[in-house]
Amino acid sequence: MSFQVDIVAPEAVVWSGQADFVVARTTEGEIGILTGHEPLMAALATGVVVVESGNEKVTIGTHGGFLQVLNNQVTLLTDRAEISVGDRADALAVAEGLREQAEAAGEG
Amino acid sequence: MASAELRDTRRRIKSVQSTMKITRAMELIAASRIPKAVARVEASKPYSAKLVDVIRNVAGASGGASHMLLEERPIRHAGVLVVTADRGLAGAYATTIIREAERNIVALERSGIPARLFVVGKKAKTYFEYRKYHVARSFLGVTDSPGYGDARAIANTLMEAYASETVDSVDVYYTRFQSAMTQIPTQFQLLPIAAPSSDEVPTAVDYSYEPSPDQILDRLLPRYVESTVFSILLEASASEHSARRRAMKAATENADELIRVLSRIANRARQAEITTEISEIVGGAEALVQQK
Repeated sequence: MSFQVDIVAPEAVVWSGQADFVVARTTEGEIGILTGHEPLMAALATGVVVVESGNEKVTIGTHGGFLQVLNNQVTLLTDRAEISVGDRADALAVAEGLREQAEAAGEG
Repeated sequence: MASAELRDTRRRIKSVQSTMKITRAMELIAASRIPKAVARVEASKPYSAKLVDVIRNVAGASGGASHMLLEERPIRHAGVLVVTADRGLAGAYATTIIREAERNIVALERSGIPARLFVVGKKAKTYFEYRKYHVARSFLGVTDSPGYGDARAIANTLMEAYASETVDSVDVYYTRFQSAMTQIPTQFQLLPIAAPSSDEVPTAVDYSYEPSPDQILDRLLPRYVESTVFSILLEASASEHSARRRAMKAATENADELIRVLSRIANRARQAEITTEISEIVGGAEALVQQK
């Protein structure tokens, strides 16, 4: 069974659609979310978000923000996010790039 | 004499024509920027809408959460943020919102509350500084195409002022973009953050938190202020481009009308000149005939 996932950044919606499995990195560590997950509110760290739906897999580098799971809807309110092409390592590089951008802009 | 009038009129026509070229170019530039500005307003909406949702849920879940940015306190210094343009030639765009803000500042000071002024855009800065208002902080060069970083800088300045009790509230004056034809001067209370009205409070959600609810709220609320400032900047920018397009369109039409009137005058002067010349020739010929 799939659930709705929205990944948004302040300036735009980065990714939105149905997914079976989401992995994200919170300040407390990595979490995986399947359908029917309990309501969760977490702070996101710099890292990789993986969204799996069927055979498709999207990797997204993110920096900062929040993750909400509620009524089978996963919402990621990121400070910065960018879809990356390639594997996890590439996405991690993207995420690190976003963090450097944020630090260069003088953000916490 | 007639030829001098003709020359003057032709010179004026030329000058009006070159002005019209400029106003038409500015009209086209402004017009081309409106769709992009409007698209950015739309693109920023999902984030702010979801953020508001999340804050409502968290505030509801933690049972009337208290946070510095939420708490109302007696106002000793009122913060005022005025959002205008850097450049003119946008009709009454800047003036309208400045006047609205100034009226409220005067009203505040009359009731014994000094206002602390923050401005976005050169127009507001020069206006208020010329009138000897103290401008605590001005942000220039952001309204043309505001980035989230600009919003963050402004929001942080305001939140710092609020945290250090330099100001006890922040009201924003900006021009809300309703449509390409309608932009509304708007006042908005940014700080303290207005609590959602009671009928909107959702049923408490039993979240599990990582980290604690307080820490989450501590991160959420500044984000909310930032994203609100961001959407204010984007709307103001869309309004500015619309106002400029409208003003420049009117100016182009006026120039067109002026050229029509001036050409009529020029033609009349030219005709009068020719008539004079003919009657002089005829008169001269007549005189010669009579001499014979």
